[in-house]
Amino acid sequence: MIENIIKAYNEAVYETDKEAAFDVVNSALAQGMSAEEIIFQVVIPAVEEMMSLIVKDPDANLAQHFMTAQIAAEVTEKMLLLFESPPEIIGCIVMGTAAGDLHSLGKRIVMGCLKALMVEVIDLGVNVTAEKFVDEAVAHNAQVIGISAMMVHTAMGEHGCPEVRKLLKERGLEDKIKIIVGGAPYRYDEELYKKVGADTWARDGVSAGKVIVDLIKEVKSHVTA
Amino acid sequence: MTQLIIYSPTGTYEVEVAEGQNVRDALDTTEWRVRAACGGVGSCGACLVQLKSGEASPLTVSEYQRLSVEERAQGWRLSCQLRLNSDAQIYLKQLAKPSVWHSIPVADLMPPPIKFREIPEFGYGVAVDLGTTHLRVTLWNRRTGQRVASRKGLNPQESYGADVLNRLDAALRNFETAEKLSRLVRNSIIKAVRDMLAREIGEIQLMLLEIGQVMIVGNTAMLALLTGQGYADLLNPNFWQAQINCQPTNYAAWQAQWLLPHAQITVLPPVAGFVGSDLTADLVATKLCSRSTAAFLLDVGTNTEIALWTGKTLLITSVPGGSAFESVGIRNGMPAESGAILHVNQNETGLVLETINHEPARGFCGSGLVDAIAVLVATKVLKPSGRFAQSTGGEGFALIDGNPYSVIMGSDVDSFQRAKAAIASAMETLLELAKMSWYDVERLCVCGAFGRHLNIQNAQAIGLLPPISPDKVELNADASLAGCELALLSEESYALFDKITANAQTFNLSLMPDYENRYINHLLLKPIR
Repeated sequence: MIENIIKAYNEAVYETDKEAAFDVVNSALAQGMSAEEIIFQVVIPAVEEMMSLIVKDPDANLAQHFMTAQIAAEVTEKMLLLFESPPEIIGCIVMGTAAGDLHSLGKRIVMGCLKALMVEVIDLGVNVTAEKFVDEAVAHNAQVIGISAMMVHTAMGEHGCPEVRKLLKERGLEDKIKIIVGGAPYRYDEELYKKVGADTWARDGVSAGKVIVDLIKEVKSHVTA
Repeated sequence: MTQLIIYSPTGTYEVEVAEGQNVRDALDTTEWRVRAACGGVGSCGACLVQLKSGEASPLTVSEYQRLSVEERAQGWRLSCQLRLNSDAQIYLKQLAKPSVWHSIPVADLMPPPIKFREIPEFGYGVAVDLGTTHLRVTLWNRRTGQRVASRKGLNPQESYGADVLNRLDAALRNFETAEKLSRLVRNSIIKAVRDMLAREIGEIQLMLLEIGQVMIVGNTAMLALLTGQGYADLLNPNFWQAQINCQPTNYAAWQAQWLLPHAQITVLPPVAGFVGSDLTADLVATKLCSRSTAAFLLDVGTNTEIALWTGKTLLITSVPGGSAFESVGIRNGMPAESGAILHVNQNETGLVLETINHEPARGFCGSGLVDAIAVLVATKVLKPSGRFAQSTGGEGFALIDGNPYSVIMGSDVDSFQRAKAAIASAMETLLELAKMSWYDVERLCVCGAFGRHLNIQNAQAIGLLPPISPDKVELNADASLAGCELALLSEESYALFDKITANAQTFNLSLMPDYENRYINHLLLKPIR
């Protein structure tokens, strides 16, 4: 039974058909699967499968990234409500768009995938000041700050990532909080993330999920060691 | 329509000539202009062509005066006097020097208004619609209410980036670049004016003195770059809903550069950060706010501006269109010129493509792209997700086997999906703000060159246009130029610009909590519900 559910769910995600995905999940629930099983045996493997597929698929496009991430997030939100006990969270990230930037859709893909991967995501919205990134990261005990910037001047802008780096340094937080950046300008110049003081970057929203999970684990091992 | 085949030393071309249109006017809308210096009244004799076959209008008095008996016997005619009664072939010995300027087909221009301003002196005027990709300029005799000529050419700033943001960014980083961007456009405007004077009147210097007004509309970014004012504010989100000052600081310098000492120069002010006076001009030209029923207006472009008139209030927003709606954002995108795929249909034997002037397909203009995607979805080559049913291995899908210019790439579909989802979700958001539904909308005006040849049913099938009865949809491709012309010619219309700007409520969708959910739901290539 589980194989059929996984197959049907993967197919729905591949077709970016949200209604079909929910039909699969609802019928799985009706057949007696628990929300936990659906998340860990169906949804998370599907997200991981999608991550590997998208890298290989020359036809995959951004519109599909948006839709698949949205499905992952909505299904996860619904399942979490049905969990017997709160799920074990891998870690926490605060995310927002850089100061001066209103392009929020890129970070949305990342957030959708992260939710499904059991990472707590604090959405700081758009046009976020460096101060707020750091304050919120501290307040939520986040391991990672994610800064999205879709324009060259916001990716490089002094009030964006460079200022976040400066604040982390001033407050002695550089070991506890790492910075990931993403957005079109970083794709054009693959060294740009270093120039603005980020620890890492990701090429697209879907693969950012894995990079962030790894980064969280790195911080945690570092802090506990 | 008659088909005209032109033989010339540089090649053979095919052009469609409308009934009653003279051959020179038809050629002026293409790349193959004849030489001319009198505005088509038959007095300069420069526009000689030789009629090889076909039935044509009889020789006019001007032609008897200009052409020798021998020339007349050999079939030489003045193309400005020549009208066709059947398909025809002509020989064109001397093309004019290649020009970046073409006339705008008369069918695309508004009929001149009936009421005019009283103009005591300097009776000529210029209307300019400054777009991201194209520049449209018309010259008017304001006393008689006659449009002397029209010109359309590329915005010369294109070399600094097709995208508005790239140009703003270039200006912001370097003051000299900002100056250069401004100068480029100002040069283009006056070149268009001089081209019209040279060809249509045959006199430049003296006529420049007769121009009493230059009226300019455009999107906010283009006006900011033209005037060198406010472009820094534009990149600051806090100014998105604010009025951006785009008034030039030094009119005298413009007058001096343009050699237009008597011209009053008016840059019609934009409504807000990303809503320009081109939208206001659309609203004036379409009289969108004149009825008591609800009406939508879209000006589709790199930045799509959207207005909802509820019958009482005016709500305005804008969304990025990426470059899917401009020819540059699509692998085989091109303007609606010769060889552009205009329409795609499916019949029993397969896909049928219609290209402009029936030339071999060279690429897609906007309507061709919409048709192609709609037909590919209908025939299940494309899935509603935007994915090809059978992987193309990143090579895309060729509508015509073996023609690389007929290929639709996966990335083209992607750009289109994102652009149309932004429009659909923006319209839906405005509707909800007004507490209305699609059923309440009695009129939809689609402005911008993209919509000129749009197949409305196809646009609806893939969710670009909302479910409004097609007979309520109007395609007004050149409305912003028409609105600018009205401001030039009528005091009343000019006053409307201020009134509309003052009463419009602008909305920034990035700050609307539900906008993103809507956007993602509209990405599928399905009708809007």
